[in-house]
Amino acid sequence: MNRNGLFALCFNALFALFMMGPLIVVIGVSFTPTGYLEFPPSAISFRWFRAILDNPDFIDAAWISLELGLASASLSTVLAVPAALAIGRERFRGRDALQALFLSPLTVPTVVLGVAFLRFLSLFDINGTFVGLVLCHAVIVTPFVLRLVLASVTGVDRSIEMAATSLGASHWTVFRRVTLPLILPGVVGGWVLAFITSFDELTVTVFIVNPSTTTLPVRLFSHITQTTDPLVASISTMVILLTVLLMLAVNRLYGLDRLLIGGEAR
Amino acid sequence: MMDQPAFNHGQTMAFLELQALNKRYNAVVAVEDFNLSIQRGEFVSLLGPSGCGKTTTLQMIAGFTQPTSGSIMLNGRDLGAIPARKRGLGIVFQTYALFPHMTVEQNVGFGLEMRNVPSHERRRRVSDALDLVHLSHLGDRFPRHMSGGQRQRVALARALVIEPELLLLDEPLSNLDAKLREEMQLELRRIQQEAGVTTLLVTHDQSEAMALSDRVAVMQSGRLIQEDSPFDVYEKPATSFISTFLGKTNSLPALLERAGKRTQIVIDDVRLAGPQTVLANGPVELSLRPERIELTDIDKATLSGDVIERVFLGDHWLFRVETPIGKLLVMQRNLGRRGAEIGERLHLFWEPEAMRLLPRGDVS
Ligand SMILES: Nc1ncnc2c1ncn2[C@@H]1O[C@H](COP(=O)(O)OP(=O)(O)OP(=O)(O)O)[C@@H](O)[C@H]1O
Ligand SMILES: [Mg+2]
Repeated sequence: MNRNGLFALCFNALFALFMMGPLIVVIGVSFTPTGYLEFPPSAISFRWFRAILDNPDFIDAAWISLELGLASASLSTVLAVPAALAIGRERFRGRDALQALFLSPLTVPTVVLGVAFLRFLSLFDINGTFVGLVLCHAVIVTPFVLRLVLASVTGVDRSIEMAATSLGASHWTVFRRVTLPLILPGVVGGWVLAFITSFDELTVTVFIVNPSTTTLPVRLFSHITQTTDPLVASISTMVILLTVLLMLAVNRLYGLDRLLIGGEAR
Repeated sequence: MMDQPAFNHGQTMAFLELQALNKRYNAVVAVEDFNLSIQRGEFVSLLGPSGCGKTTTLQMIAGFTQPTSGSIMLNGRDLGAIPARKRGLGIVFQTYALFPHMTVEQNVGFGLEMRNVPSHERRRRVSDALDLVHLSHLGDRFPRHMSGGQRQRVALARALVIEPELLLLDEPLSNLDAKLREEMQLELRRIQQEAGVTTLLVTHDQSEAMALSDRVAVMQSGRLIQEDSPFDVYEKPATSFISTFLGKTNSLPALLERAGKRTQIVIDDVRLAGPQTVLANGPVELSLRPERIELTDIDKATLSGDVIERVFLGDHWLFRVETPIGKLLVMQRNLGRRGAEIGERLHLFWEPEAMRLLPRGDVS
């Protein structure tokens, strides 16, 4: 018995193709032996992958993006977890304002944010520094972490924590042994989402990098404004590969659907 | 009193003493002037309708809610200054509140771990506690793979394993289906007696309160209105609210009159011989339990009336009978004979003493 009709199958296939299409093109182009963007490639060649090694500035930029992603995702998680606990369960004056503040980076146009960050960082004379980048990215990705953590916080039964307290656990022990494990899907999910968002961020970052802190997206962007060789494609393919590996690892450790769709803690 | 030794002073006090306890949330009075004493080893139920302040009272004893005023003394200690985590009470929550990410053994062992009990002793005490609730074979399970009744027992074991001075139960059986609830009532009573732990149960289910406890404390709108043995609360309710809240009753407004030594009840034009009472003549509330009304022959009948409704409940019938004093609920045990049909005339008899008279006009 076929549960999906022909129409549904076609629709789903087309949808998948539409989603995957650009990736397939990018991966295809990266194997071309020619000096221009060619699809499908006329032959298979690793020429443009070798070319990455001859462009250490791309590799440096990739490292910066990686460190930036790790640092800003971690910083925003450290900020967002206590904030989510307070917003999600306490009733205090200014609670709505606090939540709006944390989520506001989502509502401000990124170009405006970029200009604002540029002015702000210049005031403290840290424009273009790695620290400056981390702070700005933390602001940009915090809403993502907050929303995921908030969703899991509101799902936690307060009486579970009361039970732990009544059994003799201190505030910190209750958090470490009970609350944190229960909201972990939200925390991990938020962190991964924050990392990906930071790694990928271009619009704001363009305003606040200097040559020594150029991130990979900014580096790629400035490269394609000058030339259009398949180097961009081979680098993108590497990024896709790394992302797939990361997702496989997360899936192995944790279960992707639990992370992205949410579910009961183990 | 001043020169009395300290231990004497301790003896005059009950094990748990709630004194003039009050809790106000802004304008809302959740608990008002609440006094209750519980002896060591006793099982007391706090019974009352939803929103009457039962959970609030329990949470104040547990230390999760700060009383507005009043004191809580446990075994001579004032709990007011002791934080919740140091009170050492066993608490079972309505939702069980098991740690979903821990196995049954880890759940039960948590309190011992917090007390730094060495691991071999911990294992022994956890397995004793699981024996007590008949769950030794499920120690490795996670709570989500257990039935409601099993989770309930894990929660009990977790609360009891720390050998609490006081066990607090907040509606522990309300999430179970009716059959399991009855089983767990017996089970809970056995476990409480085996552990010998002083217990305060909160419930809005009168049958649960009566089945389980040595003493029932009835609450209404934040106040304690009666505390007595289950039998006395049922048979001698202090107010008409209690008589209707505990079990079924026929509650009728009546007039009390005395003719010499004997009392008479007047309802509309009907005069009935009344029970002994200390109440003054005048308007009263009459409470007559349906199980105290018997079916009889016409010559012995107190009153007669036609059946207007009937319900068959397996072990008994419930009839509603239209009588000269109003509609009466009548219970008849099922002895294997067909019950009266609707429209059939029934002759009812009850002892005058079966009628309980209560002052009229109390809140209900
Ligand atoms: N945190 C709070 N803020 C304001 N009012 C509260 C709060 N907690 C309880 N109340 C009020 O106090 C009263 C008593 O509540 P409580 O939870 O003790 O009732 P309960 O007897 O346990 O009821 P139930 O059987 O429904 O659990 C209720 O009117 C409730 O609305
Ligand atoms: Mg309650």
